[in-house]
Amino acid sequence: MISFNDITLQASQQTLLENANLRVEPGDKVVIRGASGCGKSSLLKAVVGAFPIAAGTVAVDDLELSAANVGAIRARLAFIGQEPTLGADSVREALLLPFQFKAHKNNPPSEDRISATLERLKLPRNILTQPAKRISGGEKQRVALARALLLDKTIFLADEVTSALDPESRDAVMDELFAEEITLLSVSHDAAWVGRCDRTIEILDRNLTEESR
Amino acid sequence: MTNDLSIAATLSMFALLLIPIGVFVWLKLGVAKETILSAIRMAVQLVLVGLYLKYIFQLNHPLVNVLWVAVMMVAANFSVLGKSGLKRKVFFWRSLTGIAVSTGIVSGWFILVAIRPDPFYDARYLIPITGMILGNCQRSNVLSLERFYSGIRNNEAEFTTYLMLGATLGEAVRPYLRAALKACVNPSIATMATMGLVSLPGMMTGQILGGAMPLEAIKYQIGIMICIFTAMVIASLLNILLSLRVAFDDHQRLRPDVFQ
Repeated sequence: MISFNDITLQASQQTLLENANLRVEPGDKVVIRGASGCGKSSLLKAVVGAFPIAAGTVAVDDLELSAANVGAIRARLAFIGQEPTLGADSVREALLLPFQFKAHKNNPPSEDRISATLERLKLPRNILTQPAKRISGGEKQRVALARALLLDKTIFLADEVTSALDPESRDAVMDELFAEEITLLSVSHDAAWVGRCDRTIEILDRNLTEESR
Repeated sequence: MTNDLSIAATLSMFALLLIPIGVFVWLKLGVAKETILSAIRMAVQLVLVGLYLKYIFQLNHPLVNVLWVAVMMVAANFSVLGKSGLKRKVFFWRSLTGIAVSTGIVSGWFILVAIRPDPFYDARYLIPITGMILGNCQRSNVLSLERFYSGIRNNEAEFTTYLMLGATLGEAVRPYLRAALKACVNPSIATMATMGLVSLPGMMTGQILGGAMPLEAIKYQIGIMICIFTAMVIASLLNILLSLRVAFDDHQRLRPDVFQ
């Protein structure tokens, strides 16, 4: 569950959102829409403490975002940006990167599980040995997603994660993220993605408005 | 003892500067005036230091000696913060602590454990040794702080990715810390490896000119090199670690207002 309570977001003197409220229930698939620059990405970033909140609160499950909880919240959900940074030299190192951190140290994934995850996302197995800098934008998006899946996250913040994908890989990504147990808060302009979401929220006049379906 | 240089002889050294200045003028480097001013500054500053030190050595009072060391540390600290692009007001005490602790540990070890002068606060040892260590820490601190923060600022997306993947602040800054320390120790590792082959180091040369036997002088040189190296590592590490708390907000975002 993610909840925004009377949240105000500001970007360089401009108010993006003012006293806005939203509650994303477990299993919900939500897409945020709105004009460019209206604060869609900032809203996602605010959940993980990557964008400052001017007023109001954000909570993930029972944890309210605060200095004390921000680490636990980041460890609990997955944030995948439009142009993900892999943060390692090879793809294999990128996939295993979070397992070097204390938060995930105890459960590194098995080789079989890594292979199966790559396969489900239509990534070739030999991508593991490739330099992270060399792979295409679409592959990067899927590697970032694979990494989140290996972390067994169930809450996903996804910002335009299919923007560089061909239809086949896009469907594979959507099959993973639209699984029943996953809670999804996303930004997307892709009609197929929007079509599979069960809630559409529009940012309009600095507020979050639910579109009726 | 050394052949004393007369004042006229010292001034004659400035004649040599005509060569580089001639080159600068010919190539229109635009640094001729700056060179002359810097050389004059150097001469005036050293004359003043020579006078100060003469009295400080004669007085050899523990309090005065320690005070002089403290003044050197504060001056080094100002220079570090000025050149590394960090705001003086925010980092002053933290950075001073890093410099003082690192210099204190290694010069304390060198003077109190190895040299053991009598009295232990003897200005002839305390001031030049802490001065040499400080001068080197100053350079390494500027380099490591600058590398560390520019590393994070230039790779903000990567740094944020580490945090989003569950890294603590300490884990997320680790790659930049590594790069910064490497940048500051690599040149010194190379210098140690070629010491004596390529150049006779300053302290040793000074001692030999002062009349010390070469075998005596090298012992001090070995001591000071190890001190400088150790102090540089402690100072760079401490300065970065101590700066973390004020450089990042409570959500681990780098605060833009802490840079000049």
